[in-house]
Amino acid sequence: MSRHNLRTVVEFEVRRTITKKRFWIATLIVPVVIAVVFGLVTLSSSETNSSIEAQKKATFSFTYTDASGIVNGALVKKLGGSEAPSVAAGVAEVKSGRIDAFFEYPANPSRGTVKVYGKDVGVFNNGRYSSVATMILQLSADAKIASPELAALARGTVKVESSTYKDGAKSSGIQGLIPPLVYLLIFYIVIVLLGNQMLNSTLEEKENRVTEMILTTVDPNTLITGKILSLFMAGLLQMAVFLSPVVVGYLFFRTSLNLPNLDLSSLTFNPERMVVGALVLFGGFTLFTGTLVAIGAVMPTAKEAGGFFGAMMGLLIVPFYASSLIVSHPSALIVKVFTFFPYTAPVTGMIRNGFGSLSVLEEIVLIGELMICGYVVLRVAVQLFRFGSIEYAKKVPIRTALGLSTSRRTNE
Amino acid sequence: MLCNSRNMGNGVAQARPESLVHIQDFTMMFGSHAVIDGLSFDINRGETFGFLGSNGSGKTTTIRALLGIYQPTGGTLHINGRPFSPEDGRQLGYLPEERGLYKKESVMDVMVYFGRLKGLSRQAARSWSTSFLERTDLEDKATVRLDKLSSGEQQKVQLGVTIMNNPELLILDEPTKGFDPVNRRLLMDIIEDQKKAGATVMMVTHQMEEVERLCDRVLLLKNGRAEAYGSVTEVQDHYGGTTIRIRYAGAIPASPLYRVSLRERNYAELKSANTTDESVILKALVEAGVQIWEFSTGKLSLDEIFLKVYGDESRSDHSR
Repeated sequence: MSRHNLRTVVEFEVRRTITKKRFWIATLIVPVVIAVVFGLVTLSSSETNSSIEAQKKATFSFTYTDASGIVNGALVKKLGGSEAPSVAAGVAEVKSGRIDAFFEYPANPSRGTVKVYGKDVGVFNNGRYSSVATMILQLSADAKIASPELAALARGTVKVESSTYKDGAKSSGIQGLIPPLVYLLIFYIVIVLLGNQMLNSTLEEKENRVTEMILTTVDPNTLITGKILSLFMAGLLQMAVFLSPVVVGYLFFRTSLNLPNLDLSSLTFNPERMVVGALVLFGGFTLFTGTLVAIGAVMPTAKEAGGFFGAMMGLLIVPFYASSLIVSHPSALIVKVFTFFPYTAPVTGMIRNGFGSLSVLEEIVLIGELMICGYVVLRVAVQLFRFGSIEYAKKVPIRTALGLSTSRRTNE
Repeated sequence: MLCNSRNMGNGVAQARPESLVHIQDFTMMFGSHAVIDGLSFDINRGETFGFLGSNGSGKTTTIRALLGIYQPTGGTLHINGRPFSPEDGRQLGYLPEERGLYKKESVMDVMVYFGRLKGLSRQAARSWSTSFLERTDLEDKATVRLDKLSSGEQQKVQLGVTIMNNPELLILDEPTKGFDPVNRRLLMDIIEDQKKAGATVMMVTHQMEEVERLCDRVLLLKNGRAEAYGSVTEVQDHYGGTTIRIRYAGAIPASPLYRVSLRERNYAELKSANTTDESVILKALVEAGVQIWEFSTGKLSLDEIFLKVYGDESRSDHSR
């Protein structure tokens, strides 16, 4: 019967969550904003590229002086330029408008500054002068090297493949870092987006005066479990909707969006880190959800519960203040504290797990602690809901609710 | 059986073999204040039981403790021989005093949800709900959100949710609160149907005519104790037994046969002493020269008994 009721609660809660306009407004606004941003980026990107191309192809009259001797005169001639008798003459011609631009190359261009003087054609179009001045210098240098390969090396166009080893085994590098950190992303999205709903999920029974009806019909453990499961499912749906424009953008508009080319096949899935990450995610989710449900059970209205929600969100962010230490000095005291304080443990633990800085013992302690704390908090939340939510219009002191719940039943 | 707070305090109430609800020495403290103090009573299988009392006398507290919503400070509260657990909810129909359902959901969705929690299949819950909505003139409201319904309509839906599993025990906390006379009659008919179908009904109400119409036995709760407990007739007998009402001329003499409980101009109410027969009293009055124009006998109504028991409380409440 308990399983039947759990399924019934989950079905009811999921259906009524995903049929709410508010849910879809909150869910769709993110992909819509992302799509708009992507659209604007694509548009801007193509405009920028066109502008750069146009600047490169732009023909304008120019002269130059070269103290370095690097500039190739023949090349400049092809581009329609000529050497000026002096810097002063070149600048004067620009000022008088007889020519469009004048470039002054220093004796050592790698240390000195190439000075560009030009006729003002607008903030954005003025960039064409420096583009052409740089291109002339680059092509002239290539011509002096007289080898395309060496020229490419001189520009730093080098492919490097690194292999690093830890305890005799090849470490996975950035490719091994990404998969376990996905758990952190999931944790954040679910808690940040659904935390408020978790808080309100039990408040609704209270505000609608439905507590007595429901508590005499379904076991509170089943009800709370069903609510949490349904919220998690709604969270997964939201994540899928959020990620859809990113996936579409990556698959079909990667170039125009200037997205990096991620070779997903190169990702490394370390089984230990993936399992630890999943368990920390589960424990952390249970702990945070249980706490939010407990707050909802003792607060009379959503407004009054809101303050506590802010504090819970704060605990999610606090570990990032020590993120550099978490990554570089995992043995630092603050990192240890964050790793084992229950409400900062999920985020810190998932980051450290991603970077592989958790020892096996730390993994066991962390997971055990989160599981135990999650279970205890969830039990307390159920008790608070059972005995606290009946006080419809009052804020129930936690001690009172727990005191009632722990008083001995003499009729059993 | 008639008990009052004195003899119930001695714990003499025994669980009958047919009792469905058994409460023994139930005590409930809120802080240092005893809301219920050693309450004991039984509700027999198949009967309709009126659980009566003034506001704040502890009726709802008792029901909540019986249903495990409150933890009792002491005592035994059993349904079917054991403490209630939500697992037993399929045999229970409970209409709480605090009315409420999921207001943002449609009538049918809420009814089907509770029906399924009470063990009905989706189809059965839908079918039952449709019939109930037709009977209560709400057939066109099935897809309407609950918060779009009037308060009376919402209460009808809640009653439907309460009885849709054909409960063995029906606990109704002020079921007619907020109903107009027409719907009150409809609700009473529905409760009677449940009773005929074999349900045991525990009813909290301030409508004494409903109690007289439906209840087999009653308990009057005062200051957390049973002030009176027994069949309606037993309680009426306890609070004055038979009253003789006369319209007359002349002077009513003092007599060991009766006591005058009310005297107005040409009207009096007399209580028989030592269960003296009414005809003996009539004869004594006539022989004393009293001209009797009208003579009738009757018991105090529950309404009058309620006023008698709780009148002082209400007056002190008002004066506060």
